Amino acid sequence: MSCEELRDSYALYALGIVEDPEASEIREHLDRNCPVCVPGVRGARELMTQIGATAPAAEPPARLRRRVLAIPGGGRAARWNWSPVWAAIAAGALLAAFFFNARAHRAAAQLGRAEASLRRLQSESAARNRELARLNAALAILNQPGVKQVVFGGATPQPPRGRVFLDPAHGVLLLASNLPPAPPGKIYEMWVIPKAKGSRPLPAGLFQAAGDWTALHLLQGPVDVAGTAAVAVTLEPAAGAQTPHLPPVFAAPL
Amino acid sequence: MLLLPLLLALEFGEGDADLVRRLQRRDPRAMAELYDRYGRMVYALIVRVVRDGGVAEDLAQETFMRVWNRVQAFDAARGGLLPWMLAVARHRAIDYLRSAAGRMRNAVELTATDHPALFADMERTLLDSDRLRRVRTALEKLSENHRTVIELAYFEGLSQTEMAERMGQPLGTVKTWVRAALKNLRDDLGTAVTA
Repeated sequence: MSCEELRDSYALYALGIVEDPEASEIREHLDRNCPVCVPGVRGARELMTQIGATAPAAEPPARLRRRVLAIPGGGRAARWNWSPVWAAIAAGALLAAFFFNARAHRAAAQLGRAEASLRRLQSESAARNRELARLNAALAILNQPGVKQVVFGGATPQPPRGRVFLDPAHGVLLLASNLPPAPPGKIYEMWVIPKAKGSRPLPAGLFQAAGDWTALHLLQGPVDVAGTAAVAVTLEPAAGAQTPHLPPVFAAPL
Repeated sequence: MLLLPLLLALEFGEGDADLVRRLQRRDPRAMAELYDRYGRMVYALIVRVVRDGGVAEDLAQETFMRVWNRVQAFDAARGGLLPWMLAVARHRAIDYLRSAAGRMRNAVELTATDHPALFADMERTLLDSDRLRRVRTALEKLSENHRTVIELAYFEGLSQTEMAERMGQPLGTVKTWVRAALKNLRDDLGTAVTA
């Protein structure tokens, strides 16, 4: 990828949330000391440093200073002169520690399993809540009196086909069928294409087709329906794209 | 906010190169000086991430230990000591959050991004009070969703997928918010941020 294509990902890289392929591309540019990307990423790191410095003030406990000052002296314990009595006490303490440590390990393992189950249940519950919220938002668009409906792919027997609903206040809803799951490493991306000449297609979110080759995708928020020429879907890398890769999988002209 | 510690840090900032050289010579008194300059900022950042004073104390000590162990790789003449320390502190804190929550993804990525050489040549005025006031104002001007994704990414180390789950929003929406928030920050801060 070119430096220009990576430019928008410098800050994501500095935040630690950039995904492939941009992540590996940026690393490659940094490894070869790229004269564009090295200062670019440094500028993004500067922004992150400044965000970190906006954290509210907090007073550390006085003992933290003592703990930090002890760091340079670390590892000097070997100079101590252990007497046989102290050595025996230490051996007893070690045995006791082994015994209690084994018990603690068993308890920790049980706790770990319980926590894993809880996390799985929380994750499943969160997924159900998200799906419910998405369906509610879709219904909200369908229920709008002024919603504009566009059918695409209806005249052909081949996939995909479906409908797009646009509401100025609530957003865009795409319902598609006969849409195969995107190949590995790829994802579908929806675009809102403005009528105005020279305007760039606006990215409208990433989605995957379900196992039964259907898809429901929502772009929530105000949309300029009167100024929209079409809604289209393209196949993009898994991280999505800022400009669509042609040709589109399908387009629904308004 | 960190105004007082920052002013103190800037007051001492001129002597960072000398301090680094003394740390590299393993002078124990240099460690005391390092803590007195930057200890409060490091601790404040970690507390903001982990929200637990006891844990923050342990992680702040680990941060200073990492700096002590890796300071030989630091180029004293090229500066960037405080940005490097804040990066190390953030990474220790986020690694703690991730391991506590069973999230180890990206841990290698973070570890690889706090090498001291990556912070060389950062200007000394990067953290002056005017700059930080502008950053604070720019953050406050972001919409709530935009500010939330930046805070979740920076202070909690969440990936975009994890943010989508946390916020109950589609992944595409969160990605759009993140990019828009960063663009707004860049636009707002102008030349203060080069990328």
